[in-house]
Amino acid sequence: MDVAMTSTTETVCPSCGGPVSETDRFCEACGAELTPATTPSSTALDTDTEPTIEITAATVEEVGPCKSCGGVVGADGYCETCGVKAAKLRDHFEEQPAPWVAGVCDRGIRHSRNEDAMAIAADAEPGSRALLVVCDGVSSSLDSDVASLAAARAACEVLQAGHAQGLGTESSRGSAIAARLKAAADAASDAVLDNTSPDSPNPASCTFVAAVLEDGLLVAGNVGDSRAYWFPDEAEPVALTVDDSWAAELIATGVSREEAESGPHAHAITRWLGKDAPDHTPRTTTLHVTGPGWLVVCSDGLWNYCSEAAPLADLVRQTAAGCDGEPKATASALVDWANAQGGQDNITVALARI
Amino acid sequence: MADFTASVYQNEFLPDGGTDVHAIVTVNCTGAGAAGQSGSGDAGEIIIVDTSGSMGRDGVQAAAYAAQTALDQILDGVWFAVISGNDRAQLAFPPSSEPVMVKMDPYTRQAAKDAVSRFYADGGTAMGTWLRLASRVFATVPSLSQKHAILLTDGENQHETPEALTQAIESVTGQFQCDTRGVGVAWQVDEVRRIAQALLGTVDIIPAPDQLAAEFSKLIQNAMSRGVAQADLRVWAPQGAEVLFVRQVAPTVEDLTSRRTAINPLTGSYPTGSWGDESRDYHVAIRLAARAIGQEQLAARVQLVIGDQTVAQGLVKALWSADEALTTRISPEVAHYTGQTELAQAIQDGLAAKAAGDTATATTKLGRAVQLAAATGNEEATTRLRKVVDIDDQETGTVRLKRTVEKADEMALDTASTKTTRVKK
Repeated sequence: MDVAMTSTTETVCPSCGGPVSETDRFCEACGAELTPATTPSSTALDTDTEPTIEITAATVEEVGPCKSCGGVVGADGYCETCGVKAAKLRDHFEEQPAPWVAGVCDRGIRHSRNEDAMAIAADAEPGSRALLVVCDGVSSSLDSDVASLAAARAACEVLQAGHAQGLGTESSRGSAIAARLKAAADAASDAVLDNTSPDSPNPASCTFVAAVLEDGLLVAGNVGDSRAYWFPDEAEPVALTVDDSWAAELIATGVSREEAESGPHAHAITRWLGKDAPDHTPRTTTLHVTGPGWLVVCSDGLWNYCSEAAPLADLVRQTAAGCDGEPKATASALVDWANAQGGQDNITVALARI
Repeated sequence: MADFTASVYQNEFLPDGGTDVHAIVTVNCTGAGAAGQSGSGDAGEIIIVDTSGSMGRDGVQAAAYAAQTALDQILDGVWFAVISGNDRAQLAFPPSSEPVMVKMDPYTRQAAKDAVSRFYADGGTAMGTWLRLASRVFATVPSLSQKHAILLTDGENQHETPEALTQAIESVTGQFQCDTRGVGVAWQVDEVRRIAQALLGTVDIIPAPDQLAAEFSKLIQNAMSRGVAQADLRVWAPQGAEVLFVRQVAPTVEDLTSRRTAINPLTGSYPTGSWGDESRDYHVAIRLAARAIGQEQLAARVQLVIGDQTVAQGLVKALWSADEALTTRISPEVAHYTGQTELAQAIQDGLAAKAAGDTATATTKLGRAVQLAAATGNEEATTRLRKVVDIDDQETGTVRLKRTVEKADEMALDTASTKTTRVKK
């Protein structure tokens, strides 16, 4: 990672991908601070509290002992004692880079594979800096589970690499983060393409949503129908993203959300990442965080059961209250809740308690 | 080298609280090669011919001719012997007072044919003694990995008690396989079927002596084409689960459940005998502890094992679902073979009731058999049933027992009752 970052900083801006020379301290295009910031910030991210599960393409197929009885799992993927199907790491994984940031990614009940993916990172100090990325693989395409994970991880790496610290105005910092979000979407798109067989009749594709919190600024961007929300404790809940979906287009024309999202094409998305994607530039929203609250980034496996910002905010707050405000327990409980509603889709919930 | 594959047909979805999983596992074998030529041991063949007094001069001549035809079909290099049986068993070939076998070659084949031509009808019938001698003869050749016999009889086992026959069958079970044939109509289907089932063989009627030679020839050809000497079906079921039954359901119905030997607490082994290029279907039923909706588990691993090597494996799964569209589906294969198994039982029960003079039960059971044969598309069974009952309505199973029935037709219905048809795809 370090090697890649160094070579990146020498040739292109890690935030926006624009050309920079070695002597530049700031990017001409987006204003991001260049060389010094990258290494310290990633070191901070690496020295975090709880170890995170290493999810890579290589470990996705690995299985440990049976979670049900502790028996040996056979080569066919079932326990040799109790017969329970061994959960693949890919089917359910949890990450918590810092005590105040956590995510849970789960296969749900109905689907046979987990095509959702997430990648999250955070600095140790509560409320300082968090990066949450969720990608939802499109289940009608091939290898979307591999592609979505690669995309989320690639995006998170790009977001980590360029920490625009100490810049003057808030608006220039906001646009720098927004530019980095676009670069992250590019990296995610490249990762999807890298994991697509050139002759695939049905190329892998996935959605993309990322939220970046840095020094009180919250920037979110999305492609597709995975979402980000900001639920401040003392103010109205905010939906940070607008879906690129058939349903969202209907809503824009005046159809009620309930009607649009229960229609026959409710889950048809109009933009995505992948070989056949028309355009993958994320639409971004920037917000100034003034008080405590919950940042929620999730896939439709959660919001299918609670789409409006206000009831979802209530759900998150109540669930958090039942978990003593602990983010990982809260994310787990929200996944359990979605499974209890039917678990029709893969479910990913990433949270930051700010 | 033989190539085995296993395919599983089932509806893996169980409703909330559901416990019973049924699956049909089809095991297919190709490239079996010829008996005794796979390099894993030699093949042995014993021909056992009834020479009791009831066979008569013509009967024994026909049997001798059939045995000679069978000898022509035994491949050179295969160990063999011929036993003539009446109320005691004698080794007709090789000529020896002690049990012994020889390898087939042109010289021994001719010598055996000469010995067989000297058969004469005399004495009674004690099939248990024939089986015991065959077992002792096979035991003289330690290199045999494949041991097969054909047994011909024409009469009841009058010269030993049923218990003596049972003991003899038990003492030789697992020692060799045996196909049995009854010639004429004076023999007991139940008696001879018991031998065939225990010894992993088939049973059939040969109505007239002049059909013997063709049948013997076919039986030996089959045996010689079985290049896989011995294979076992292994069924693993999870801890706490119960194996309700394991049945072969094609080409014939054979309940294997009681033939289990434990490999370990979770795995049982069931003998399947030798294999040629063929396909067999097994019906496995497992009772599990119910799990929560959305959970998946393995209900059984069904393997075909040669020696200690697994050559094919099928996985039987269970997945609990709240979706009735999924859980209420019945696998067509499971339904088909459940019907075929009931068909076999209905025929046997019906004929037993008829023999005991219980016309009402016989009519009900055979009516049910007619209904099941029609529903599962077993036209051969329907044809055989028509010779025993007049069918008023196939769908409802309304039948009348025929006033006069050829004994041979009734026996043919009985011996063929376990033959099944495959699912129409």
